[in-house]
Formats: sequence, structure tokens, C-alpha cells
Amino acid sequence: MSSSATSSSEDTVLDERQDFTDGLSYPRTPPTSSQVFTTVHSEFGHCGNEDYRYTSRHRAGTPYESYPEQDPPYYILLTTYISYLLVICLGHLRDFVGKRFRHVNYRHLLPWNGYAALNSDFDSFYTRRLKLRIDDCFSHPVTGVPGRTIMLLDRYSTDYNKTMIPTGTRTRALNISSYNYLGFAQGNGPCADAVETSIERYGVSSGGTRLEGGTLDLHQQAEALVARFMGTEDALISSMGFATNSNIIPGLVNKGCLVISDELNHASIRYGVRLSGANVRMFKHNDMQALERLLREVISQGQPKTHRPWKKILVIVEGLFSMEGTLANLPVIMELKKKYKFYLFVDEAHSVGAMGPHGRGVTDYFGVDPNSVDILMGTFTKSFGAAGGYIAGKKAVIDRLRIQGHSFTYAESMTPPVLTQVIASMASIMGITMPAEKPHSSPSLALLRSSSNEATLAMSEADIVPGTAPASALPSWMPLSPVMIDGSDGRHRLSRLAFNARYLNRGLRKLGFITYGNDDSPVVPLLLFHPGKMAVFSRMMRTRQIPIVVVVVAYPATPLVTSRVRFCLSASHTKEDIDIVLRACDEVGEVLDLKQAPGERWPVEEIISRAVEIVRAPKMP
Amino acid sequence: MSSSLQSLELLLAFLSRSYTTLETNFYKIPGSAVVARYVKSSHQNDPGRTLLEVILIIFAIRTLLQSRTRGDQSGKHFIQFDEKEIDELVEEWTPEPLAQPLTPQEQADLASVPVIVGPTGPKPKLASGKTVINLASYNFTGLAGNEEIKASAVDTLRKYGLGSCGPPGFYGTQDVHIQLEQDIADFLGTEAAILYSQAFATISSVIPAFGKRGDVIVADRGVNFAIQKGLQISRCTVRWYDHNDMESLEHVLETVEKERKKRRAPLTRRFIVTEGIFDNDGAMADLPKLVELKKKYKYRLILDESISFGSVGRTGRGLTELYNVPASEVDMLVGSCATGLASAGGFCAGSHIVVNHQRINGTSFVFSASMPAALTVAASEGINILRNTPSILSTLQENIRAVRAILDRAEYITIPSHPASATIHLQIRWPTLQVPMHASNSSSNKPSNPLSVKPRDPPQFDVELEERVLQDIVEEALSQGVMVTRAKRLRGQELVEVRPSIRLAVTAALSRKDCEKAASVVKAAFAKVVGRRR
Repeated sequence: MSSSATSSSEDTVLDERQDFTDGLSYPRTPPTSSQVFTTVHSEFGHCGNEDYRYTSRHRAGTPYESYPEQDPPYYILLTTYISYLLVICLGHLRDFVGKRFRHVNYRHLLPWNGYAALNSDFDSFYTRRLKLRIDDCFSHPVTGVPGRTIMLLDRYSTDYNKTMIPTGTRTRALNISSYNYLGFAQGNGPCADAVETSIERYGVSSGGTRLEGGTLDLHQQAEALVARFMGTEDALISSMGFATNSNIIPGLVNKGCLVISDELNHASIRYGVRLSGANVRMFKHNDMQALERLLREVISQGQPKTHRPWKKILVIVEGLFSMEGTLANLPVIMELKKKYKFYLFVDEAHSVGAMGPHGRGVTDYFGVDPNSVDILMGTFTKSFGAAGGYIAGKKAVIDRLRIQGHSFTYAESMTPPVLTQVIASMASIMGITMPAEKPHSSPSLALLRSSSNEATLAMSEADIVPGTAPASALPSWMPLSPVMIDGSDGRHRLSRLAFNARYLNRGLRKLGFITYGNDDSPVVPLLLFHPGKMAVFSRMMRTRQIPIVVVVVAYPATPLVTSRVRFCLSASHTKEDIDIVLRACDEVGEVLDLKQAPGERWPVEEIISRAVEIVRAPKMP
Repeated sequence: MSSSLQSLELLLAFLSRSYTTLETNFYKIPGSAVVARYVKSSHQNDPGRTLLEVILIIFAIRTLLQSRTRGDQSGKHFIQFDEKEIDELVEEWTPEPLAQPLTPQEQADLASVPVIVGPTGPKPKLASGKTVINLASYNFTGLAGNEEIKASAVDTLRKYGLGSCGPPGFYGTQDVHIQLEQDIADFLGTEAAILYSQAFATISSVIPAFGKRGDVIVADRGVNFAIQKGLQISRCTVRWYDHNDMESLEHVLETVEKERKKRRAPLTRRFIVTEGIFDNDGAMADLPKLVELKKKYKYRLILDESISFGSVGRTGRGLTELYNVPASEVDMLVGSCATGLASAGGFCAGSHIVVNHQRINGTSFVFSASMPAALTVAASEGINILRNTPSILSTLQENIRAVRAILDRAEYITIPSHPASATIHLQIRWPTLQVPMHASNSSSNKPSNPLSVKPRDPPQFDVELEERVLQDIVEEALSQGVMVTRAKRLRGQELVEVRPSIRLAVTAALSRKDCEKAASVVKAAFAKVVGRRR
């Protein structure tokens, strides 16, 4: 049997009553004798067809534009507003009656025994009266690897979602919800092997904050590797992605500085900016003219009232917006940056690993020199299957953030298993240069003693950016697999993700759905508009013969009328998985009247059979 | 002449005709009679009244049409420039550098941070090749490196992979997270608990989840940085009481109540925020008194047990176990799995209502990926071990006593920490001849102003000098084979400057003998460095 891991996957297949025909746990078509798959199909799908590959790259010379936003017909908007109105009125009516006749259930919303209500009924209205109705679509408990498929722990509710009761059964579902862009969420494979070795060696604790006895050699190795991966002078890492923004931005700006922020920036950025005490102005999402107008205004006006010039201006954008699928218009921002002398902070939480021919994020995608961006921030949660975040940039800036950001002084440092996953997955994307002769005694030690010198020296050696990871930069005990060393594993993942992203984006548009964002974006939002359709869409997808789990989002994460379902693609998906999603969307979309986009439509089978053509066409056919 | 008269007549006829058509059409509109009646009754044969109405209507329309978003542009401070002037201003403007390069002192600080090669633990190996006794890393109960924990972490890794790859709301809630939350709640004796993926980010999300603008928070002046940030984000009205002083707390609670009664303000949410064992100096809060006061004045208590959870009490349940106060008396009990259980993340335990509210309103819970499964299971395993082996905690307390026995009597050391605290802060006690610090106790009896975070008579000390001396002590101890650390603080960002100290973290994983040896080394280092300065 050639596909060895397919047969040895007992420990990851968690349910006993396995259905072999749905294609989730085992491939529909068994591998041929020439194919060798080393991954577990339920975690990382087997896909041997080299046609289903693509490179995520911005075509040089063309201006960046995301797919034009389409407006739905007016009756959709009108009925959306009406349905919100209906639910809100109903909710208020229930509150009114309930507070008078069923006092006990409302105690936490009313002053009681001299205590004010813990949460005001007004603040929690949306949660109690709107979200609760569709709560079965959120916070679904799961188990096992959140890879290509995910194991749902089934549950039901007898009191309209107030309490959820587990049934004890499990359902394996196709997972297009987890942030697993490169498919590194795996319980098997080289990265998991490396992490296992590291747990045995290091345990799980790092013992405190970075500056107070919580710094391990692994931290320094990981930081040097991240810097090398990003192509910057230096990098720092923090144990939580959210906290990377919220703890580091206050170290960059303070009173007298101005932050210009895209209106759709993530909560962590807003939180960090609020902590910093800097002034904030926002501009319309990805509107470069609005940004320039704003820049001209703020620079000419200076600080409010005093008109003193700003100490510095920091523009914060996200590389890939997680709810929109749009990319920051980096080429134009770089032009503006030259003219208006602001500093640029790019949050690559979703784009690092997922975008660009080498997986280096938006800078790589647009072919922009990473060193021309002042701060590159990103997380390890999404593409690397780990946790935490990093900040990469000039050494002087990073060192300043080490002692002035909150992370190093107060927050616990990243734990060894997470560090190892970061190192292993990153090295796997980069490929590893093995030393020509036997390395002297302890290469990792040499690196960490003078990490800065060595890192810069090594940087200049590798004139090809992005370079590979020198074996000396990795922990000496780490098991290296051949696919990591030659970088074929990383290339495989990147090209599969790029194909999947483009295929689903364009496939859904060809079906007539309204979607947002860039064709190459692995985040694909499909517009539903009606709040009621969110629940129905999610339930219909979950209860199909091949269950699919999806993420539905609405206000306040999106504007009120543009409720949407968000697909997150992964390199672990096979072309057949995308076919399944397209067929499911086609059927459900028909029932829910979602196909509202103008333009030519293709039947789903035609899209599936012409997938390669759809993906490779420079402009959508 | 006649033709002009004729045309005028025609015009008038046309006007009157169009007026009648307008009128009839107007009355055809449903509800128009009401408008007509209103106009008639408001006019009352007084053109002044009509004029006023018209002006009001115009004003209302103008207000509605005014753009609300570009407040700055229309504000009175806005200066109109033409394009050329703006270009010149843009040309002229030179921003400050993004970051000031490090001073030599800061560089030295950063370089002096010890790097552990290999696993952390009671006796780790440093980058210099030396094996040292570790009184710097948090490993109170010696769970770091525990073989059972390692084994279950590896098991979990194989079943779940490493990352959870999603926020809790979107398929990031794994059964192991639910299990750990249950374990924590059972261990402490609360209804429920919620898990955050970083301890430092926990309380700064918990406070703003409940405290909103207009609510009152009464906080200790010595609270840690994370709490300070939580208070800042919450936008509550904050009143301060003297560090760990229950009389001062009661005084502040009374003034707040008086103030409210005087202003006849509506009932708002009120919280007392403090720490179990203070991160800044190791002092311990008087929990029974706190609970008594919070009940008397009807406040809710937010207690940060980041240091005390997993280090005090018979089995490490923290202050509630030590004082035998039911954990349910504390409304929001925040703790750290990273510090207390040698894993990662933090938690908030409380009632179902308190916990569920955070699942939607705890910013860093909602917007962040959940904790890796392997670390979650490691924390659960840690709780199991603590529960089943009370001897760990008694060993820890013995070690603390051994260290304190040596350091309490030392000549150049002041210890503000509680005798049972596993973190021991060592401040410099200057010999009487040199006086860089003098606690002025002139106007002592007056209470501090609750509106200001600064106490009335802040102790005077020279931060730079003391930090330098303490760093010399740290390095001296390190050269003798004992790793300790200064309590690092962001000077200038803390609300109140904290007196510099060396922070020891005692662990149960060391033998009593090692602890005594390490304490003697630290004592000698103090004597050498501070004594030399005479």
C-alpha cells in the first residue's frame, strides 16, 4: 500500500462509526501505485493532480483593484431592514412583557437588592434578542484537528438556544471555517514530530515574562527565523496575536502622534490605539483618495486646537481584511508614503503565509520590498498552525519595542511547543540550506550568542530574497524531514492554497453570488444580507449529506445590511472539496435566493469541469 | 396699456386657477387637513408666529443636512489652505523617527536578560554555559517539566494538532477548552469559568466587559499594569484607595456613597478592583475584610489572583482557600494558568451570568484564537496534580519560610511582601548615612485624595540609582550561580512609580538546602553591592 498514512490514521480518526463513502476521512478515489501521500486525508487532503496548482502573485504593472462591489436589488435591502425591524420590535415587546410578568428571568438586567444591573438590558439587547435566535451557528464545540475536516460535537437545545445539550455523538464535517491557510493544523507530519520532540525536551512552560527569566534559546531562534522569513533586520514575538497589537502599538505612538486607521481594522488595533493615547482618524475602507485627502488635511492642520505639527503619523492597514477578502492597496500606499512621510504599519494577521508566491504576505504578493514598510505585524495562528504573533522591522525599532511595548515586560512569553511549531512550519515554507560540511559542535548556540551579528551576516550572504533557513538557525535537536529541507512541502502548500482561493472566488461569482474581495484571497465572503438567511444557510450546509461547517457573520462585525458567510480556504482542501462547496452553495443559494449578481452565469457542472481554465485566466472568463 | 392690463388679468387668473388646483390637490393628500389645521391654529393672524415656525423648520433642515462626520473641517479651529499651501506644509513637515534608538543603558539592560538554553526549571542551563539555581522564573509548584504533563501534552498534540486555528465563536471551542473551564470552576468552587489565551490580556478585557462609562470603580493604588490598562479602557470613574489599606478603602467607599446621595445620581454598577497577592510588591489583600466591605456597600469584587492562584492555600487554590472564603463571594476571580499552572493563558471564574457575558463582551476572548489544545490539557493536568498532592504546597511554603528566614534579617534588604507570598520583593534598605530616600511623614493623618492615583505622601526614591544598584546585585548573584531578576517595570507608563525591587519566585521544585543557599547568595550580594557604596 503506497499511501501509508491513510491506513495508519486510527489515532486521528476519532469516531468509530466511520462512513467511508463521504470522501471526508478517506479519498473517494484510492491513490494509484505511483502516488505517495504522507498526510492523513481528513487533516490534509490528498491531491495528486499537478494542474490544480497556482501562484498567488499580483500582475506587475497593473493597478490593484478588488472586484467591484455589487449592490443587491432594492427589494433585498428593503426586506433586510424590515426583518431587522421585525425582530427588534418583537424583542422589545418580549422584554416589556417579560420584565413585568417573569421577573426572575430578568433579574440580572434589573437593579436588585441595591446592586445595579450587571449588564444593562439595552447593551445586551442585540445579544439576547437577535443573536440568541441563531446561537446554534456560533461557538459550536469541536474536537480533533481543525484541518481539512473537523469533528463536531453534536448538540441540541430545548429552550431556544439558552442552553445547549450535547448529544454525545460526533459529526465529521468539511471545514472551510478555520484559519488554516497553509494546512499546518496537523497531528501528524514533520511539524508535529518536531513539536513532540520539543515537548519531551522542554516541557510546556517558558516560565514568566521575557525580561524576567522567561527567555529561552528557542525565543531567540524563532525571532531570528521570523526576521529572516520576512526579510527584515529583526523581529520580536509575543504569545498572543490580539495582544501583539494591543501591547505593542502603545510602544510606537503616544500623545501628540496621529494614527490613521482603515475603518475596517481589527478590534485589536483599535484597542491598542486607544491604550496608546494617540489621536485617531479613520478613512473609508481601502479608499486611497480618501486617505490622501485625509493626509493633506491632517498634515496641514496639525494637532487639534494647537495646530502644532504632529510628532509622527502612523498609518495602520491590514494586509488582508478578514471580513472583506480585500487586500491593502500597497503599491499606492507606498507612493503616498514617499510623498507624505508617514510611517506604515501593516497587520498581516491573515495574509502572512497565505499571500504571495513565497508566502511572505502582501509585500511578497505586490513585489514590494518588505524593508520599505516600517512595521510588519502578523500572527502565527492562521497560516502556521500555532499561536501568538510577531512584529518585524528595523532593529532599532524592534529593540525599542522590546523595552517599551508591554509584552516583554509584563506578558508571559511564548511556550516551547508553540515556538517549535512556528520554527518548523516556517522552515518548511522556506526550505533549509544544509551546511556543506559537518557543522561545528553546536550551531544553534553560536547563533544565539550573537544573534544580531550572525543574522545580519547571514542576510547579506543570501542575495536571493526571500532566502532559505540555514540549518544552523534551527534547533539542533529538531528532526528535519526531506520535504522540509528541499522546500517542496512549502511550495506544495502555497500553490494548492493559491489554486483553491482563486477557484472558489471565481466559481462563486460565476454561479451568480455577490462576493467581496480579491480573486487571490483565501478569505471569501459571500453576501447573504438577511439576518434570517445566516442561520438557514449555516444549518443547511451543516445538515447536508456531506456536512460543511461555515462561519456566518453579521452586525456588529459587518455593516448592518451586509450579513455574510465567510469561507476560509486552506491548502489542505482538494479540488474535489471545493467542488463539494460549490455544489452545496449552488443548491442552498437557489433555495435562499442568493444569486443576485448581474452578469453571465454558468451552471455548476460547467464551472467544475472548466476549473483550471477559470483559475488560470488573467481576467475572469 | 390695455394689452398690459389684459395680460396682467390673464396672469392673475392663471395664478388663482393654479392656486385652486393646488389647494384641491393638497386636500386630496391624506392627512393634509391636519397640516392645514396646524398652520391655521399656529398662525392665529400673527405673521410673527409663522415667521418663527418657518425659521425653526429651516434650522431643523439645516441641522439634518449638516455632515456629522467631518467635524474637524467645519470646526472653528479649521484653517482653510489652498492646494499649494498644503503642498508646502507637507513638504516642510518632518516627523520624529518612529523609534528612538536605545541608549547605552537600555542596550545594557536588554543584553543583561538571561537566556535559558533548554528547558526552564529549578536548575536551568544558561547561554553562558553555566547551570544556575533559578529564583527568577515562575514555577511555584514545580509543574514545569513534569513528566505526566508532558505525556498528556504529546497525546493531545497527536489528536488535535497544535493551534486551535480559530476564535472560540467560530469552531475554536474544543472539548478540551470546555473541560479546562470546568476544571477551574470545580477547583475553585465557582459556577463557571472562561479561558483567555494570555494571562496579561485577561483582566484588561474583564474590567471593560463590565465597567462602562459612568460606572464606579474603587481600586487599590498599587494594582498591576494590566489592571491599570483595563481601567483605562473601561472609561469608568475610578476612585483610589491607599495600597492594601482597608480603612482607606472604607473611607473611599463612604465618600463615593455620600457623593452619589448628594448628587442624587442613579444607581450605577460599582466595583472594587484589587489583587490577591500584589504583583508589584508581594503584599497580600485582606480578603475577608474586602468581602465584608463589598457586601456592606454593595459593590462587586474583581480580584486578580494572577500571583496567588497556584501558590497559596492548602492545594494552591489561592486566597479564597487560604482565608477560607467561598470563591463564589468573589464576583470575578481572575487568575493565570501561565503562572499558576506552568502552562499558558488566563481565566476569569464567577457565576454563569458573569462568564457568559464575557463570551460576547470580553474583547480579547472574542477576537483572539483560543489556546492550543496541548497547553489547555497541560493546565487541566496541572490542576489534577495540585488537587491530589497537597504536599507540593507545603513544600513551597517551607521553602518560602527558609528563604524569608535568611533575608528578613538581612542588613540591606526591606521586604514588603507577605510572609506566605511565593514572590518575594527585595528593596534596598539604605544605610542611614546615605539618604536617597526619605519617607516624609509630616502631614500623615489626612487621607489621600481618592480622585488622584498619587497617594498623599508618596515615598521618595531614586529610581535610576536603585535600578542600577539592583542590577549590580542581580549580576553579582548570577556570578555566584543564582539567577534572580529585577521586577521589570515600564518607567513612565505606570500610573504610580513602583519602588524598584528584586523579585524572587520561590519554587517547590528546589530543595530546602538549595533555597537557603540561594538566599544566602542574594543576601551576600546585597551586602557586597550596597555595602560597597558606603
